[in-house]
Amino acid sequence: MKDIILKVNGRKYNLRIDESMTLLKVLREELELTGTKEGCGEGECGACTVLMDGKAVNSCLVLACEAEGHDITTIEGLADGELLSDIQEAFIEHQAFQCGFCTPGMIMTIKGFLDENPNPTEDEIEEAIAGNLCRCTGYKPIVAAVKDLVERRGNDGYNR
Amino acid sequence: MDLKYVGKDIPRVDAYEKVTGTTKYMSDLSFDGMLWGKVLRSIHPHALIKSIDTSKAKALPGVEAVVTWEDVPGLNGFGIAIQDQPVLCKDKVRYAGDAVAAVAAVSKEIAEEAALLIEVEYEVLPVVDDPIRAIEPDSPKVHESGNILLHTEIRKGDIDKGFDEADLIIENTYYASRQEHAFLETEDGIALIEEDGTLTVYAGSHYPHRDQLQLSRCLNMPVEKIRVVSSPVGGAFGGKDELTIQPIMALLALKTGKPVKMVMPREESIISYWKRHPMIMIYRTGVKRDGTLVANDVKVYADTGAYASLGGPILNLALESSCGLYRIPHVHIDGYSVYTNNGISGAFRGFGVPQVTFAMESQMDIIAEKLGLDPIEFRRKNILKKGEVAPIGHHITTDVESEAVLDAMEGSRLWRERERYRGTDKNRPWIKRGVGLALSWQGMGLGVGLPDFGDAVIEMDPDGGFIVRVGCVEIGQGAMTVYAQVAAEALRFPIERIRVVIGDTRNAPDAGPTTASRAAYVGGKAIFLAAEEMNEKIKGYASGMLSVSPDEIEIDDGSAYVKTAKDKRVSYEEISSYAIERGGLPVAEGHFDLPTADKAIEGAFGLPHHIYSCCGQIAAVEVNTLTGQARVTDGAVVVDAGTVINQGGLEGQSEGGFVMGTGYALTEDLIIENGVVKTPNFSTYIIPTSKDMPSSIETIPVTNYESTGPFGAKGIGEIGMVPTAPAVTNAIYDAADIRVFKIPATGERIYELLKQKKGENK
Repeated sequence: MKDIILKVNGRKYNLRIDESMTLLKVLREELELTGTKEGCGEGECGACTVLMDGKAVNSCLVLACEAEGHDITTIEGLADGELLSDIQEAFIEHQAFQCGFCTPGMIMTIKGFLDENPNPTEDEIEEAIAGNLCRCTGYKPIVAAVKDLVERRGNDGYNR
Repeated sequence: MDLKYVGKDIPRVDAYEKVTGTTKYMSDLSFDGMLWGKVLRSIHPHALIKSIDTSKAKALPGVEAVVTWEDVPGLNGFGIAIQDQPVLCKDKVRYAGDAVAAVAAVSKEIAEEAALLIEVEYEVLPVVDDPIRAIEPDSPKVHESGNILLHTEIRKGDIDKGFDEADLIIENTYYASRQEHAFLETEDGIALIEEDGTLTVYAGSHYPHRDQLQLSRCLNMPVEKIRVVSSPVGGAFGGKDELTIQPIMALLALKTGKPVKMVMPREESIISYWKRHPMIMIYRTGVKRDGTLVANDVKVYADTGAYASLGGPILNLALESSCGLYRIPHVHIDGYSVYTNNGISGAFRGFGVPQVTFAMESQMDIIAEKLGLDPIEFRRKNILKKGEVAPIGHHITTDVESEAVLDAMEGSRLWRERERYRGTDKNRPWIKRGVGLALSWQGMGLGVGLPDFGDAVIEMDPDGGFIVRVGCVEIGQGAMTVYAQVAAEALRFPIERIRVVIGDTRNAPDAGPTTASRAAYVGGKAIFLAAEEMNEKIKGYASGMLSVSPDEIEIDDGSAYVKTAKDKRVSYEEISSYAIERGGLPVAEGHFDLPTADKAIEGAFGLPHHIYSCCGQIAAVEVNTLTGQARVTDGAVVVDAGTVINQGGLEGQSEGGFVMGTGYALTEDLIIENGVVKTPNFSTYIIPTSKDMPSSIETIPVTNYESTGPFGAKGIGEIGMVPTAPAVTNAIYDAADIRVFKIPATGERIYELLKQKKGENK
């Protein structure tokens, strides 16, 4: 067992955990942040994507104790209270989800990607989400939502 | 009719929760004192169980229960159609993945460790892995009763005469792969015992009321003592229609008295649960020189795997659609659904029809080319219309928009501009491009002779809003949104104040399964009928409050008023207070029986269907002739949808179906060798990613009003992926002059076909 301090969505958590626990397991089972999903547990589907220091990672492949000292952002940390992020709004507008199970991971991947590359091409968007599997939508509305969002951000210089 | 909600751009009612990660799927639930369950599964595809020793597992600290077949209080068998699958195997295992025992422990890790301590002694039996070999009399038997689950033979006309009349006869054998649903949420959930002794099972599925019934049989408990909550689901596509983990979790909860959670690891999910039936399809099709189809002889072998589940109905639905939506006078259809030790096959979007559509629409493409006919013209010449006799011998009595679908396909951008998508790439001459199409039809609902109904309840709440209850589930398709739209429209009431409660046996009435493209249609219609009754009740209250006869009352937008004096009105808040004072808030019920055919087809249980959906698709494909890799670059989907309730929802089903269909056509193959799964994860079982998505998919609905449906709507959930594979393989032929008889058309297979063609041309 190991004592760690994990910083998630701006809040610090003092935890005593087994060293073998993944970040995904700690988020879901210890912190009850169940917005982050387990789809495969082996880094093949992207459903568990969170941001670590702003970069998208598969939380099933990160050990929780190695996440200490880093800023973790999950889907629960994206909206500002009731105010949704513009990525979330674009997802609603474009019906960019169906069952919704891949959605939190997909949104976190997009968040990390757009923060690094605010003006991507369509190809770059498709490349960015290629590690996030979605079985319902066929991806089209997701890419459309991101394209639309990029355009809007460009127009009003607005980014939240 | 002037519609306010139906057909309008209404955001999904579950949107906020889904984009904020606050939706609670069954896998997200946890309870105090919860244990973790783990299943021990057979590693042998076929073996006798000589003994099971659980003593070491039981002795491991942290283990609270170990269960085997001896702990099943009721029928140790489940299955929607035939209950031949043990909850836990007693003396025989029939596939690698069959459940033998299960553990509940204080942690997932201890449960896993304990499961490995259970000692099972097996006597290995020969494996049955080929469905054609399996029906030979000397084949080893998967079940005592033999390996044929179902044999269905249908004849119409005189097949020999038909072939005598034919100028051209095309005979081919087609193979369709075993497809994995690959929903993102595996089979997960929790079972617990409530204070009053009720067993509550939370697990995503297509039909909570049937899960409740099946659990009641296995557990020997009255249905009233079992509650099943099965919505929302993180994807299903048919794969959660049959029971999965529910009975095992329930046994562990009953044994320990504590909540027991189970989460299927991805590999275990892929190895252990349902798949699309692989089929071998031998087609012989006769046609006259002018393109008139005269005969079709179809033989189908469906590999149903170790247990029955829906193998029989899937075979029959496949056979109903096996000759396409065409007028063919002489038909012989012969189908077998066969037990093997190849995992378990069951329901999957399309329910047997994608397989036979691949075969039939390939035949159609081959014939059109041989006769020098345009593929749309050839289909139009033979297309089946309302009033005509279908290939299995019954009259089509409802609107199936076959001609309109063909017209719309012809008018689609992709078809009109197809020359632009064809030919050799100028800069990369090894890239060959082509365009192909396919047409399909599929029965909606469960078929003749089966109970097929839906109930809905609408209650006014104390604030004058409404609660709509219907037992179908949200599997991602948007059922809740459609229900809210239908209720808002029918109640003429603001959608924001309507709450939809679904997928829970305690809180929503039985509306049948969320399958067979029936949820929006049946559930929607039941809601519509309940709303009509509610409106009458509201008029009754308003007439009392306004002292006029109910006939003089009109309702709109949350208030009731006198038609001739619109300022004399009462709000629904006032009506609700008035109703409470007089004994209670109004409740209305709607019941809808899905219309079925008058006459059954002899020897083909469940056939025919009565209402059909029809879908045509066009695919543009590029084939890399150096690597064999094919990719779909553009698509068009024409679907006979009736009234479109939600355009975004329709596009979602059509695009999602098309992309799932391209996976089926090109990459998806759950390989089982000697009974062992070789592709148990997403690095070996390849589903489409965003990089595989076509650059455009045009969705064109044909919107003929379906008189029996809610506001004229019809189901479209399954048909969207049915014709995709043959549209893609026909496009591969157009591109590279190679005919695909086996899907998926992987790079390796296309490469081999190209090599063969080169050899032939030398």
